[in-house]
This record gives sequence, C-alpha cells and structure tokens, in this order.
Amino acid sequence: MLRYNFKYESILLFRSKWIQVLIGILIMLFGFATYNGQQKTQKRKADIEKVTAEIRTSDQNMLKLLDSVEHGLTVTARPWTIPNTPMAVGNYHPRVASKPPSELSFLATGQSDMFTHFVKPTVRGDDLALNFSEMTSPVQLLFGSFDLAFVIIFLLPLLIIAFSYDVLSSERESGSLRLLAAQPILLYKWLMQKLALRFFWLAAITTATVLLVFLANQVPVSNNFSAILSFLGISLTYVLFWFALAFAVNLWAESSAKNAVALLGLWVVFVLLIPSILNQLGSTLYPIPSRALMVNEMRTIKAEATERQDVILDNYLRNHPEYAVNDTTQERSFWHSYMASQNLIKKELEPVLSKYENQLQKQQQLLDHFTWLSPAILVQRSMNQLADNGSESYEGYRNRVIVFAGEWRDHFLPMLYNNQAFSSEDYGQLPEFTYTPINNQSQSSVLVILLCSGLVVLGVGALRFYVSSDEKHSII
Amino acid sequence: MIRKTINKELKELFRDGRVRTSLLIVLLLLGIAVWISSQQYQKTNADYAAAKVSEREVWDNQGEKNPHSAAHYGTYAFKPKYPLSLVDQGVDKYVGTSIFLEAHKRNEAQFSAATDQTGLARFGDLTPDFILLFIIPLLIVLLGYNAFTKERELGTHALIKSSGAKGWKIVLGKWTALFLPVLTITVVLLLLAGLVLSNLQDYGVFQWNSLLVLGLVYLLYYAVFTNLVLWVSQWTKRSGISLVISLSLWIIACLAAPKAASNIAEARHPYPTRQEFAANVLKDKDAGIDGHNPWSKEAKLLEEQVLAEYEVDSLQQLPFNFSAYLAQKGEEHEAEVYFKHYNYLKEQYENQSGTYRSLALLSPFLPARFLSMAIAQTDYATHWDFSDAAENYRIATQEFLNNNTAQNTRYGEIGYKATAAFWQELPPFDYNPPELGQILKNNRSNFGILGLWAVFSFGLLFFTTKKNNDVTI
Repeated sequence: MLRYNFKYESILLFRSKWIQVLIGILIMLFGFATYNGQQKTQKRKADIEKVTAEIRTSDQNMLKLLDSVEHGLTVTARPWTIPNTPMAVGNYHPRVASKPPSELSFLATGQSDMFTHFVKPTVRGDDLALNFSEMTSPVQLLFGSFDLAFVIIFLLPLLIIAFSYDVLSSERESGSLRLLAAQPILLYKWLMQKLALRFFWLAAITTATVLLVFLANQVPVSNNFSAILSFLGISLTYVLFWFALAFAVNLWAESSAKNAVALLGLWVVFVLLIPSILNQLGSTLYPIPSRALMVNEMRTIKAEATERQDVILDNYLRNHPEYAVNDTTQERSFWHSYMASQNLIKKELEPVLSKYENQLQKQQQLLDHFTWLSPAILVQRSMNQLADNGSESYEGYRNRVIVFAGEWRDHFLPMLYNNQAFSSEDYGQLPEFTYTPINNQSQSSVLVILLCSGLVVLGVGALRFYVSSDEKHSII
Repeated sequence: MIRKTINKELKELFRDGRVRTSLLIVLLLLGIAVWISSQQYQKTNADYAAAKVSEREVWDNQGEKNPHSAAHYGTYAFKPKYPLSLVDQGVDKYVGTSIFLEAHKRNEAQFSAATDQTGLARFGDLTPDFILLFIIPLLIVLLGYNAFTKERELGTHALIKSSGAKGWKIVLGKWTALFLPVLTITVVLLLLAGLVLSNLQDYGVFQWNSLLVLGLVYLLYYAVFTNLVLWVSQWTKRSGISLVISLSLWIIACLAAPKAASNIAEARHPYPTRQEFAANVLKDKDAGIDGHNPWSKEAKLLEEQVLAEYEVDSLQQLPFNFSAYLAQKGEEHEAEVYFKHYNYLKEQYENQSGTYRSLALLSPFLPARFLSMAIAQTDYATHWDFSDAAENYRIATQEFLNNNTAQNTRYGEIGYKATAAFWQELPPFDYNPPELGQILKNNRSNFGILGLWAVFSFGLLFFTTKKNNDVTI
C-alpha cells in the first residue's frame, strides 16, 4: 500500500503541476534572497577594504611626516596634527576596528542593517561617542530585508499550508474518502503517508534549489560544509514542523475551509503574534530607561568633571607616581587634564550605562526561556547565528571594540604623561584590532526542540484518531 | 436585491464560528495594542517633558563661561511623540530621539529604540498599525475568499441567476456585506484611539480631522483588498484555489513587496556608511574657513576682505572682535557643508521613495503604509523636518553666542566670560511638526497611487461581472 500510495501520489503531484510550480517558486524566492544577501555582503566587504586602504595611505603619510620631523625639517601640516605627539597619533591616526562579514552572512540580515561594521576609536571622547548605529533609511529597517531567513521562516510555511490544507478534506468533499475507507489501511497512516510524500518532495526540492542557488551565487560551499548542513537541517526540521501541524489540523478540523483558516491562524500566531507579544512582554517587564534622561545624567557628570579638571589631574598623578618619576619636564597641556578627567568620567558613567545593558540582558534571558513557544523565533535566532549577524554577535563586537578603545587610549597614556614624543619606531607597537566571531552555539539543541514540537503536534493529531472511534465524531 | 444579498451574506458570516472567532480575536488584539501603545505614549512623553526641562536647566545654570566653551558644551534637542503615533508607530522605533547641538558639528539623532531591543524586535510589534495594515487585510481574505465560489460549489449560483438579479447588484451586495464588518472594526478602533487621545492632557495637539483622514486611507486600502478578493472568488471555480490565490496576493502585497522594495531601493540608491559620510564632511570642511585656525589660507583671505571693507589697517581697529567674527564665518561654512551632505542623503532617500512608488504598483500596501505614517507624523519626512529644525536652531544658537563674544571683546583679548544670566536669553527650541494640509500635499503621489488601485480594482470587480456570469457553472 505504501508503495502504491507513493507512486500514484507522486504521479498525481506531477500531473497537477504541484512539483513544477514549487520548483519554479522556490528557485525564484531562494535566488532573489541569496542574490540580495550576497550583494549586501559584497558591499560590506568593499566598505571595509576601502577604509583599510585609506588608513594604510594615511599611515604612510604619517611616517613620511614623522621622518621629516625627526630629521629636523619644517612640515606644513596643522600644528596639532603633527604625529610626533602621542595625542596626535591617537586622534588623527586611529586603527580600523571592523567586523567583516562571515562567508554565510547572506543567510540572514539580522541586525547587520542597523549596526555599523567598522569604527575608528580615538583617544578623545568616551565610549558613548562611538556610534555603532549605521546610517540607513529607517524605512528600510522598518520593512526589513528579503533574505533567505525571511523566505524560510515566513514564506515556506505558507507554501506548505497552501499545498496541504485540504489533503484529507478534499477527499471527503469529493466523496472519494469512502472508497478509501474500504482499503486495508488506517486513515491516519494513509494521511501521514500522503503528507510524508509531500514533505519528501518539498525537502528534496528545497535542498536542490538551495544548493543550486548557492553555486550560482558563488557561495563557498565546500569551506562551510557543516554550517550549510546545519542551515539545511534547521530549515527542513522547520518544514517538518509545519507538515506535522498540517497533519493534525487535517485530522481535527472538518472542511477544507476550516482547515485553511485554522492553519493560517496558527501561522499568524507562531510567526507574527508570539514574537511580537514576547518582545512586548520583555520591554514591559524590563523597560529600558529613558535615553533622554540618561543624556541629562551624563551631562551632569561631565560638567562636574570639567569643573574639577585640575584637582582630578593632581589626584590622577598622585595615583600614578610612575609618570612623575619618569618625566623631567613636568609640562602640562590640555591633554593631560583632559585624559585624566576622561578616565574619571568613564568610571562614573559605567553604572549609568550598565543599567541599559542589564535591562537588555534581562529581556534576552526572558526570551531564552520562551523561545520554544515559537519555532519561528528558534529558526530566526539560529540563522542569525549561522550568518554571524545576530544581536549577540553585534553585542560581542561592541564589547570587543570598547575594550580595544581602552587599549588604544592606554597605549598612549604613558607617553603623554611622560611627555614622550611619538617616533617612527613606536609605529610598529600600535595595538591592532582583530575580530573573532563569538562561538556559535550548537545548533543541535534547536533541531531537538523543533523535532520535539513536531512530534507533539503529530501526537495531538494522532489522538484524534482514537477520539473519533465513536460514530458521531467519525473522520469519514 | 442588494439589501437582500447583504442580509443573507451577513447572516451567513455571523453564523459561521470561524468568522465570529476571528473577529473576536482581531478586536481583542486591537484592544491590547491600543492599551499598550497608549501606556508607552504617555511614558515617552513624560520622559520627554522631564528631559527637556532638565536640559534647559543645565544650559541656564552654566555660570560664567566663555560663549564658545558653551557652544562646545552644547545642548540637546529632544523629539516629542505625536498623538497619532498611538495608531501608527511608523519608523519611530528606528530613528533617534535626541540630537546633540554643538559648535562646528551637525549631529544625527541618537538612541533609537530598536538598537536598545533584542533581535526579536525585528519581527514587529503588537501595535494598532500592525493589525490595521497586516491582519485586517488577511481577515478580508479569510472572510471573502468563498463569497462566489461557495455559490458555485453549493449549486446556488444557478438559482441566483434564475432569479433574474443583475450581476452587479449581487456583487455590490456581497461587497457591502464583506466591507461592513471591516468598516465597523476600523471605526471602532479609530473612535477608541480618538477618545483615548482627547482624554490625555498636556501632550501634543490632537486633531480629529487627522484621524478622519487616517480612517479614510485605511478604508480605501481595505476597499482595494475587498475588491481583489471578491474578484478572485468570482473568477475561480473552487474555494480552495480562490483562497490560495487571494492569500498569495496578500503575501506579495504585505510581506514580499515591501521587503523586496527595500532591497532594490538600497541597492540602487545606497546611503554612504556613517564613516564615509563623516570623512566626506571632513574633507569639505577642511577646504573652507576653520574658526579655530586663523592661520589658514581661507582665514587670511577673509581677514583681507574685512580690513578692506572697514577701511582699516589692522584687526585691532575693527569695531568688533575679529576672532569671534572668524568663528562665526567658520560656523557658517561648516553649516553649509552639512547642508550639502545632508541634502545628498535626502536626495538619495527621494530616489529610494521613487523606487517604493514604482513598486507600489505591485502592492497597495506600500502607499497605505506611507500615507498612514505620514498622517500619524511618524514617517521619515517628519523626522527630517525635526532634524532640520534642530539644525536651524543650532546655527542660530552659534550666531547668538559668537555675536556676544564679537560685541563684548576686542581682538586679541582672551579669557572673556559671559555673565551667568546671559544663557537664559537664548530662546528655547520649539518645534512644530508639519500641518495636515502640508502632509497631504507632500503625499499627493501616494494618494494618487492608492486611488489608482481603488479605481482599478473596482473596475476589475464590476466591469468583469457580466462575462463571469456567462461562464457555465
């Protein structure tokens, strides 16, 4: 029976152009999404390369200037930018702290359209002066991106619904179900076989088109074999979950119309409502304090620090006796007091800023507890992780940059307080920023949760078969 | 016949459990959404008011200080929330809310809400506009996909035909029956929002006519969907196929087209990256007068001009302090540079808008989306307007401060401090968003496109009726 079912269903699916339509739609959707993603990734790469090249040229100019200064020649640059002082190098010759796209960045846009991919921290200004948000039209952020994650999370379930909502009910409505009942097969087994066949075809087509589209878009498949395998695994388990839902709904509901409404309702719940309700819940339970009020607080701290700059500098030098010992000139410039008060401001701002991070972390924790409520959220997070474009990934980058900004500042501080000149020999010692993606969490847990929810749904569906044993609730 | 059809359809709709449930759920969601939004609205505005007062206090109480130090110390412009953001949050979440106004630099608005949220925020929020723009059209699809196909499937089509009723009358009856529940929901929601808003005190100026226009936009949008869904139902043989086609229309219009449009718009007319933008500004700034650098070529040129104009030989003989004058000229040059570069951004956005408009021919969602945000004063254009107003205020503030130095000091004098009372003389930043009339004028093309959709879809529905009735059952 299984063999017949498979064979004739396949022929039917082929004759009704189901398979052909699916191949066409999926090639279009996957193709467009991958192309978009690759374009974004290329632009991001080009931007970073461009700025790195600029820094290289500016470094060469700096070395030339330094060379001239060291040989006692007069130079024409503006006095405060001549790179023989550490502060001039620290301010006018920053390093690029960039977050290059991963090779699979095109999978999911995630937060990459909102945040910048490179900053150039200077010794001047505090961590708040590092602006990590990218210059984008907010309309683009509002609409989001047509990426692979969108196609898989939002559109694939709708395709599944459109092709499976009436598998059982149409047989009932056309009267052929009674004929089927005469066959030696349990109804739910028959239905499961029908849906399994559809799943098989959809999975095969998805895998084939994804690989085809990747190859056409020059995605380095062999380098990222395991990641792509994870991607396919998660996508297909997600698809399986929706087929399980279709199975349950087919058994529980009665008419095709009711099936369609129920499945669409579930789609709205899982894909649109649960994420937005969870998000709302997070920001209601752990509201982010007002940024406008933070601005006030920050201003007060800075104003106080500026007023006490001289006292702060004295205290600072007292705490760092090594500077006083090494420096014979004891010269004090604007930068000496500025950098000392900057240190204090940084310390005083920390509790103000950590309020924001703490609340955000609490929101994230709440989410972590409830992600299983919606497979869409699970898949979204996994894809963002695979693409290295998720919130965590950008948070990691931000923290890393803030540490680097501190290193950069600290590198020049001894030179400043010892009143040492910056020489071409010091150039090689400048700290450099390297980005390493945070370790991707294992995707297998996601697979397990998805599979479990699929099984639960299947179970709920099968339950119907036992409920229906009495005449009144008969499926047929 | 029209009334009878309406009666029959409405009765059928309300007998159906799924319709009752979906309507109930939509109303419930709307209620929750309005409640959450009004809470947020009140909190944001309370914070805004507090921040504004406190910032002004900081400015007023600077004590004795050099005006240019005060200019560097700067001040903040905060963006308020407008009443109709209760209905449509628009891009508010993605734009900053405070702009730092300082000497020499035009800053962008900082701290957008979205950067302070988890990645989940990108799925969207449970706000009234989400329900109005996405869920209600889906409801129309679910309520109307079988309006005609069920007659065919149940065999009642032949009966209706034999009753001699005119085709368009039946269509109109079905149309009205499908539109009435949607109309009710929309009116209830907008009335609710209007009542909530007129009972909130102190915040913003709420106008009922804006709400009315907003309501009209949504009704027009729903009319388009109603037409399309009924048209599909008329032309398909089976309910299932009709549902799949209507659903595809919804997916394309509401989900796929906006995202595709945003990708195409970005690829065609990209914004510079933040760093690139800053570098370009710096390059242009360096080419002109720098208020802090009296030795530059440009500064020397200005010196000569001023000396010639006042017919004196040295800067000391000028009736004002040349350093402050130079600072002001530098400020004006920098303002010009920013004007140029921000205008480029605006141009790019204008071009992007063109892409959105041309893709709006595929999706009635796009013009409705843009109109709704515009009327609610939560669109990008309102943000630009605010940011321009803040920039004008910044330029005026710099002039106010530099003039004080120019008039009260002599050339070469250092260490001047303005009195502690001086800061209060600076007029406060007062921003008024564009009026409804202006907004409607700016959005003519979106109105045009939505109108075109309405005319086209009505035409499709009513002028293809006859042919359809000839189709055998």
